[in-house]
Amino acid sequence: MKAWLPRVYLFLVYALLYLPIAVLVVYSFNDSRTAYRWGGWSLRWYEALFSNHAMVQAMWNSLWLALAAATVSTLIGALTALALQRYRFRGKKALRGMLFVVMMSPEIVLAISLLALFLLVGLQLGFISLLLAHVTFCLPFVVITVAARLNGLDQRLLEAARDLGAGEFTTIRTILVPVMMPALLAGWLLGFTLSLDDVVVSTFVSGPSYEILPLRIYSMVRVGLKPEVNALGSLLLVFSLIMLVISQLILMRSKR
Amino acid sequence: MKKVALAAILAVTLAGCSKQEEQVLNLYNWSEYMPQTVLDQFTQETGIKVVYTTYDSNEAMYARLKLLDESSQYDLAVPSTYYVNKMRNEGLLAPIDRSKLSGFDNINPTLVNLDIDPGNQYSVPYLWGTTGIAVNGDVIDPAGVTSWADLWRPEYQGRIMMMNDVREVFHVGLRVLGYSANSTNPEEIEAAYNKLAELMPGVRTFNSDAPRMPYLEGETDIGMIWNGEAVMGAEDMPALTYIYPQEGAIVWFDSFVIPKNAKNVEAAHKFIDFVLRPEIAAEISTEIGYATPNLPARELLDEEVKADRAVYPVAEDMVNAEVQEDVGEALLVYEKFWEMLKAGR
Amino acid sequence: MMLTMPSQSERQPFRTAVLILVWSWLLLLVLLPNLLVIGASFMSRDPSDFLSMPLTLDNYLRLVDPLYLQVFLHSLYMAVITTALCLLIGYPFAWALARVDKRWQTLLMFLLIVPFWTNSLVRTYAIKLLLASNGLINSALQSLGITDAPITMLYTEGAVIVGLVYLLLPFMILPLYAVFEDLRRELLLASHDLGAGRAATFFHVVLPLTMPGVIAGVLLVLLPAMGMFYVADVLGGAKNLLVGNVIKNQFLDARDWPFGAAASVLLTLAMAVLLLAHRLSRRRLGEEGET
Repeated sequence: MKAWLPRVYLFLVYALLYLPIAVLVVYSFNDSRTAYRWGGWSLRWYEALFSNHAMVQAMWNSLWLALAAATVSTLIGALTALALQRYRFRGKKALRGMLFVVMMSPEIVLAISLLALFLLVGLQLGFISLLLAHVTFCLPFVVITVAARLNGLDQRLLEAARDLGAGEFTTIRTILVPVMMPALLAGWLLGFTLSLDDVVVSTFVSGPSYEILPLRIYSMVRVGLKPEVNALGSLLLVFSLIMLVISQLILMRSKR
Repeated sequence: MKKVALAAILAVTLAGCSKQEEQVLNLYNWSEYMPQTVLDQFTQETGIKVVYTTYDSNEAMYARLKLLDESSQYDLAVPSTYYVNKMRNEGLLAPIDRSKLSGFDNINPTLVNLDIDPGNQYSVPYLWGTTGIAVNGDVIDPAGVTSWADLWRPEYQGRIMMMNDVREVFHVGLRVLGYSANSTNPEEIEAAYNKLAELMPGVRTFNSDAPRMPYLEGETDIGMIWNGEAVMGAEDMPALTYIYPQEGAIVWFDSFVIPKNAKNVEAAHKFIDFVLRPEIAAEISTEIGYATPNLPARELLDEEVKADRAVYPVAEDMVNAEVQEDVGEALLVYEKFWEMLKAGR
Repeated sequence: MMLTMPSQSERQPFRTAVLILVWSWLLLLVLLPNLLVIGASFMSRDPSDFLSMPLTLDNYLRLVDPLYLQVFLHSLYMAVITTALCLLIGYPFAWALARVDKRWQTLLMFLLIVPFWTNSLVRTYAIKLLLASNGLINSALQSLGITDAPITMLYTEGAVIVGLVYLLLPFMILPLYAVFEDLRRELLLASHDLGAGRAATFFHVVLPLTMPGVIAGVLLVLLPAMGMFYVADVLGGAKNLLVGNVIKNQFLDARDWPFGAAASVLLTLAMAVLLLAHRLSRRRLGEEGET
């Protein structure tokens, strides 16, 4: 097989993956209202986007939610992975099973089940309902990522800690956390990604008090002619590229 | 010296007290049914921020209100005629205090105190409109299209758009067969279903979010549309023509209601009052192409808008037109067949 | 493999707290909701409330009605095509990715994930821009003189599949990449030394070893594909409904929660079947037996 073939193939697929996004970016600068005719370069859609307070608010809400969901799910997920590795208790299989079910379930099944729960307990749909839902679907991914890391841990470190009389909490804090850090970061990023990207779950468990992006733009997107959405897409892309750079830097540092 | 200091402290505290917390009005409305400029003007004048969320069908609005009933998330909603009745009967609405509305009498008396809400205790009419046929004049000659039945013509198959609304689509089916669109007779409804099922393979898409879009995008050439959407669409695509079908267009009107558990009832009243002002009502009608029931507002309209038959039809357009009314329990029959229509291919 | 156990006397409070947290979260937010859905699927619809008492099997019977069965089968069909395409594109991609210089791999992996930070709905809209009759692809083809009239791409089955493949491809690639990374070159060399040709090596060594990845990828694509209602909404037009659209419609428009719940249970059963297949394939490879 020619040596360059795999590389070309990779490039092609990446190009296809980024083509729609590139379209969004280019057309966000299109001066014509109809997205299909090119009218020259302009920043008017960015202006329109920023003066649309509801959209801007929705954008911030989505970001904050993703941040919160990623953080909480990383916390709980890390503790779950720790528990599965370190402690003996009954029902480990059931626990793993439930995590697996969440990961494999189509989102819509997750969404309606949580909606039913929230209705039953009378929880008002808003930030809390969204957070609970998002943390739940991020959880299994964090657990897997952290567990994989813990699996490869050198036992002697822990033995040494125990011999020196370190308590559980201290052991976790001083030894396990630093070791898990890359996995924690990876898990956090994964959670952040899944939360920002989510449409299905959010459609079901959000309320008007905390509007996030998918619902705000849902009808706009079906309409198909709102160039502010292009501007929105470009901004999100720029944001994610910045995040990408930052996370690469952090990961490179932590490898030392 | 002490007196001055005391006065200064008092002044500061009083100033702090009178600064109000930002007020919010949660308005739940159809998409493309309220100009942003009107919302901005309202905020500017009253300081109340408007949170605007949208729906594309009465069913969706109703389902969501039901779901969020206890948690009072919406202050205003805008259901169509028959849903006002349904929601009123189910105790979902809060009474509207007429004394807070100075412009209520601006509304055309023929639209007030109807069966759906005797005495208008729970609703205030907002806009009215019609649903008729849209034709892309560049592709199909509008002169050749005069009735709902024309939609069944073989040459249009695959290029048809229908509203995403059970009652409106069944109106078409029922009228084509000569039945009333407010029929509660299950046999008639089933007959309409069978007729509509013939049409389904030719339907390209359903859209109630912004029905003009599939025409503008060049995906459909003929079908149903709300008159206001046709007017808005014609700005971008002059060839988009609105036609009143012979068997009768659908006439509907939408009213403001206040959900029972609304948080900011005060602001809701203020908003309705604001919209009842003739100049605001005129602005709305001009911007989004639907007819206002506000009589003084109609005087203020541009000659061009007044003369636009798509917005303000003349008598001959309204021959055979039928106003959408409540069908009570029969709605379940309609909904059953509607699902079958959409699920089938 | 268990980590060194914490010392007996010290572990109680922290351990208890952690276990309580983890168990309550999963029981309340995973087990309970799913039980509610199963329960709801046996209840009856109520015109003015959500659920009402007479327990019934009607909802499941409705599912077998030819009308809905047709929707499910069509949805399954689209999901299968989507999965097949993802596999076709993703398998060689994962292979190629695993063989790239290690330094670049992390970056390339990230580049796969970056698009997800632009919400899926926004990306679906971008596909719409590309496929519309007066959209980019048609405009480009016409201005280049390749076609005269616009090709109908939007509001078709194909459009939905394109959208689904676009959004789900990375989910196929990730597990495949994981197994390809594990695949040791020595095995391939050994196979070659023993005289096997390329095709034989592929079918007898690579394929079996990557099978768990394939099945994981299929799991991560096939079922979600059936649930992504927004793709069908935006790109599919009137006729190309996914099971997700039916469920969403029941819950948010038609308010027939019991029927929606039954459809959802069906989807979950399908998932269980596939999971079983996954388990069996892993067992064959001797990977069972985790602690």
